[in-house]
Amino acid sequence: MRRRDPRWLVVFLANLLLWWLVGLANNYLAPHAVHLYVGGIFTIYAALQLDAKHGLIATVLTGLLIDAGTPVPFGTSVVLLGLVHATLLSGRHRFPREGSVFGIVVSQLANLFLFIALSFLLVGANPRPAGAWLRIFVDLLASQVAILFIAPWFLALQARSMELLRIHPETGRSLSS
Amino acid sequence: MLPKRFDQARPFLTLGVVLLVWLLLPLVLKTFARATFFEIQAPLIVADSFVEDLDTFWANRLHSKDELLKAGKQVSGLIAEYAFSTQRNKELEAEIIRLENLLNLPSMPAFRYEAARVAQRDFSGWWSRMTIRKGSNYGIPVGAPVVFSGGVVGRVVEVHRYTAVVDLITSPTFRLAASISGDNHPISYQGGLNDAFQPPRGTVEYVPVDFTATRTATRHLVTSGLGGVFPAGLSIGEITSLEISPDGLFKSGEVSLDERIGELTEVTVLVPLNPEDQ
Repeated sequence: MRRRDPRWLVVFLANLLLWWLVGLANNYLAPHAVHLYVGGIFTIYAALQLDAKHGLIATVLTGLLIDAGTPVPFGTSVVLLGLVHATLLSGRHRFPREGSVFGIVVSQLANLFLFIALSFLLVGANPRPAGAWLRIFVDLLASQVAILFIAPWFLALQARSMELLRIHPETGRSLSS
Repeated sequence: MLPKRFDQARPFLTLGVVLLVWLLLPLVLKTFARATFFEIQAPLIVADSFVEDLDTFWANRLHSKDELLKAGKQVSGLIAEYAFSTQRNKELEAEIIRLENLLNLPSMPAFRYEAARVAQRDFSGWWSRMTIRKGSNYGIPVGAPVVFSGGVVGRVVEVHRYTAVVDLITSPTFRLAASISGDNHPISYQGGLNDAFQPPRGTVEYVPVDFTATRTATRHLVTSGLGGVFPAGLSIGEITSLEISPDGLFKSGEVSLDERIGELTEVTVLVPLNPEDQ
């Protein structure tokens, strides 16, 4: 009988957990007019540790999850996260994938790209776009600082989940064998 | 064996194929996918507000009997005050109907008031939204006005089974026909001036040039009733500045909004009784 391979599900559920936690943080930050966006962190483990198929499934599902709860054209996050995933995947054999420092650096860069891309897409609706950039800059700064603290925990959470399930993230083989 | 250059481009090709499939997917499937992915996270969105309710419940249970008696006295005073206001409202409504019939005026839009708890707030530089804990299960329609004791909160933009999403008055995508209190010239209001660590603000356009407003002498902005969604006279905010617009025909300026919008825990949705009148 063919063994079920839940790697994409593990990563997707971890992303769902973080998405919910960040939503909670934003709920409590709302009176202070500060917002956190951590989209960049969702693709890192999927792109650097999983195989291409499972990584893409987890990334696409996470993109759909984000799009469903935000007022952007449905599919925007799928495209943006997919681009980050494809970029990392195409050059990952050259990257030092082990260790969390590289993951933190990449998540910072990915989040920066996603944040700026979304800002260019959405800032046009503002009555004073020039003024909106100041607020966007503060949100970006807060998000990058948040990622600095979240990334080590989040990457470790995904790695530990795979260990608990005794699955090698890249090959899908059982670790006990 | 495929050349190495193709191997590196393969992730992009795969993504291209996925995106092509996505583009060719029928709209009905995309709508279904969006609703499904929202409903997946809906229990998580509302969970926190239910925990908060439970927290408040147990905190209230800890109050002493003396404190409850004192609060009861205050509430009974308020009830008497509101009972008088309700009576006065009924008289005024009867007077309005009498005048409408006398002058052959179209009747004012009627609403059912649906109180709803706020499940989650999401205020960014890109959008300002909140999710409330009532949806199609309470007959909430898309486009329904949402208000609180301080005036307009926003407009329902998405309705799900047990939740609804409200686009707030502070959002850049929120536009509304307004007027200065005591005047009937229509003015355009738009949200979106949300500086970090500052109270929310909005903008007004097409203000007649004879109006002035400063930080010390503000003008009260209310809904005009035009556009058919919001009833007239609901408070929006205070106009704090007005300047001549580039065309010289009108003035434009800034509106200071109620700071409590960022901390709301309960709002009221105005559900139209006769949607075809809207």
